[in-house]
Amino acid sequence: MKVFIIGSGGREHAITKLIRRSVFEPRIYVAMDYRNPGLERESVETGGKWFIVNTADPNIIARISEEISPDLIVVGPEEPQFSGVSDVLREKGFTVFGASSRCAEIEKSKVFARTLMWKYEIEGRLYFKAFRDVEEARKFIEYAGDVVIKPARQAGGKGVKVLRDTQAYLSRDRTEVKRNYVEKLFAEVSRYGDIDYKILVEQRVEGVEYTSMVITDGEYVLPLPLIQDHPHAFEFDIGPETGGMGSIQGPGWILPFVTIDEYRKTIDIVANVLNALNREVKEPYIGAFAGQMMLTGVWGPTVIEFYSRFGDPEISNLVPIVKSDFLEVLDRAAERRLAGAKIVIDEDIVTIVKAVAPAGYPDDKKLASGHPITVDENRVKELGCEVLYASVELGADGRLYTKGSRAFEIVCHGNSYKDVYTKVEKAVSQIVSLDNWPIFYRSDIGSQELLEDRVKTANRIRIVYQSRTKNGLLGKMLVWVPGEGVLNNPLIGFVR
Amino acid sequence: MNGIISIYAFDELWNLSNIVRYGLMAIQHRGFQQYIVCTYNNDIECFSSENFDDIHKHDIRNVAIAATYSEPVEEAVIVEKEGNEKIAVICERPWNKVHEFIHELINALKSNRNRVEAFKNTINSFATYSSPSLAILTNREEVVIWRGSRLTPLILGGYGFDMVIVSSESVAIDILGGDVKRFLKPGEGLYISKHMLKTLSINHTNDCGLCFFELLYLARHDAIVDGVSVYEFRKALGEELTKHLNNDVDVVVGVPETALPYAIGFANKIGKPFEMAFIATGGRRRSMLFSDPFEKIVSIHLKMNPIRSSLEGKRVVIVDDSMVTGSTMKTVSQILRFRVGVKEIHLFIASPPLIKQCPFNIMKLDMSSLLAANLSQEHAKSYLEVDSLHWLSKDDVNRVAKMFGLRFCGRCFGLELFGGEEI
Repeated sequence: MKVFIIGSGGREHAITKLIRRSVFEPRIYVAMDYRNPGLERESVETGGKWFIVNTADPNIIARISEEISPDLIVVGPEEPQFSGVSDVLREKGFTVFGASSRCAEIEKSKVFARTLMWKYEIEGRLYFKAFRDVEEARKFIEYAGDVVIKPARQAGGKGVKVLRDTQAYLSRDRTEVKRNYVEKLFAEVSRYGDIDYKILVEQRVEGVEYTSMVITDGEYVLPLPLIQDHPHAFEFDIGPETGGMGSIQGPGWILPFVTIDEYRKTIDIVANVLNALNREVKEPYIGAFAGQMMLTGVWGPTVIEFYSRFGDPEISNLVPIVKSDFLEVLDRAAERRLAGAKIVIDEDIVTIVKAVAPAGYPDDKKLASGHPITVDENRVKELGCEVLYASVELGADGRLYTKGSRAFEIVCHGNSYKDVYTKVEKAVSQIVSLDNWPIFYRSDIGSQELLEDRVKTANRIRIVYQSRTKNGLLGKMLVWVPGEGVLNNPLIGFVR
Repeated sequence: MNGIISIYAFDELWNLSNIVRYGLMAIQHRGFQQYIVCTYNNDIECFSSENFDDIHKHDIRNVAIAATYSEPVEEAVIVEKEGNEKIAVICERPWNKVHEFIHELINALKSNRNRVEAFKNTINSFATYSSPSLAILTNREEVVIWRGSRLTPLILGGYGFDMVIVSSESVAIDILGGDVKRFLKPGEGLYISKHMLKTLSINHTNDCGLCFFELLYLARHDAIVDGVSVYEFRKALGEELTKHLNNDVDVVVGVPETALPYAIGFANKIGKPFEMAFIATGGRRRSMLFSDPFEKIVSIHLKMNPIRSSLEGKRVVIVDDSMVTGSTMKTVSQILRFRVGVKEIHLFIASPPLIKQCPFNIMKLDMSSLLAANLSQEHAKSYLEVDSLHWLSKDDVNRVAKMFGLRFCGRCFGLELFGGEEI
């Protein structure tokens, strides 16, 4: 079976690892933006081919597809989906796993996603206000309170400003930051010509985050186990937002800080959103879909955002645990015969993924690029772990060079978080900078300390949302504006 | 004794003046009415003042290290420049090796391409079991924070994706709207720059406990120290004190404002009412931290206007956290006797007698004026005009320390550790 993978990073490397074990013995073809040595090797070893192209260009991808004539095409990242790669391929009659551009709107436009949730009254929705016009946003922000400011378009998982503003004595300073950030963000988002609204101001919530991924053919929804990503760049959840510095999973389908009920409710939310989306765009959603969730006091399971693809690094956690024929599942989804399909996982083990990035990531990609780096892959394998190649390029001199984002992901599994943690820490140290440029990873991910902290936070949050449920306040945030009445609007600040 | 706070905003949109101001206010009780701030604005700039409004005269961009302090300013902060390297170091308490340390550090930074390693190695070569904590700012906008030993805590906090806050006390992180992320381990350090935050593991010769005064007196009731709630710990010591009660009493009061939770714990345990007894005038002042005896007595007097109705004619248990010179308690007993007219005073001190100097300079105790080191129990009772005087024993403190999983330095009480294996 010929499988054509579109995409260049760690996510696509994880997908190739997952499908290589299939009884269909896939020959893997890859279209990537740069020479990712991991993807290159998977394609060469399976007798496929690799191409360095602009993966977001539908015409180029279509041309290569016609040349290869693959049995299945997997569109990995969101940008090719946004630019219509899946659409063009389907028009040409290819079997494609990956959201169409209209379905991928759920990730691309946060306004579309939020509006959909409100229109269909899906639980776990947050209050928001979106702006096309900088003047209007500027005015609004003067009166905004405890909010998050986001780009209205998906921008590589970055650009979110979380501004807890519950203390009047610091609210002027925060308003100043909000004001400046709105300006800055408008300027940045205006680069994208493919979006109407530019920024989003959203109700701030706090709690424990987790990702709920599913595979769907537009009717049937096949849930995958919950995984927790770690968006902060630095240890102990400090520092700037990244695409994810590592993730944990298991044992089984839930995480130690999520209950079965919360898992079920999460899957309901995700399925309801897919259902609403299919009705709204009148097109089946075929591909991977994920809810970036947070357990909050406002709602319990709450939607932060959606991905129209597998989460990265979340998909990497699946590499050691999936027992089913993953290629068969993707193929059945792509052919719209997912009904009856099952994913079997090893429910006894846990997995930890850690990303390693060059200093400069995520705020200064230029600074983080072009540094020679190496990994002792044999040693990592001896430890029972796997290396996934992400933002790293094979240079003409045979050395690996950083591309500015997370360079590698290390995937380890075992019987307990304690065991796996020890392993993964050893494995991560096999990645070495060759020019003394600092590289970093998060040693706290998967540690007992952080896990206990999550359990504690989740317990506190659970008490809050359960008592709010009892009082009929789930999802509500009431504000009394004298003269106007009691409003359900959590975006207003101290100064009105 | 100082309180340290350090703030690093990864994003240049912030002006930190107000944030530094409220952060310092939150740890004000740890030092004195003076503070020092070092910032980076094309160059390292340090300023000190007694007035928080002065902070606004300075433009604080995205980084600051700061402290409230009580010693002369030249001991609290040292700024040195050699070649291209300029460094400011804030010491949590006077450190005689600080100049040598800075010199070595600058040499290491000059000769090592890996700056994180240079910091780590230099700190390692100076680390002892009782090193003071340090906050370091460089002219490359790097901040290094080091919890020098177990004696005094440091807490790591974060604010959204924007900021890292490190403070001697968790309350500063609360007050700035941040989240407490971690109680740094003894010897643990942090390297923070625009593109990096790394934990520095420093060889740590474990054996000094946490300064007992941190939980006994220094930290605010709302603070969490090394994972332990100060308030709960104080209530537990108050409960422990009731073992020494052998009289009938009517009410329980605490010496404001530190001793209130001790009195609450005591009252809860014996089922007698806890009463408010004294109301302070002016802000909260830490009388014990004044070194000028006149200032100290002024501060005590301002805290002690009695609520007569709750105490008149009663048999009163009065609880305090510690007794140094006894001057506070003498004042209290005189007020209770002559202005209120109580029937009996039973004094309970939630710590053992203070009999030795602090070898680490955390508490500045003058041996000649330490009550317990100079007066017998009987003399003390008559001087203080109390009907009975009780202290927690070393065993009592040891028990409570173990209950909370803490180990304390007990040198000023005449022993190595509370909460250790042996006593």
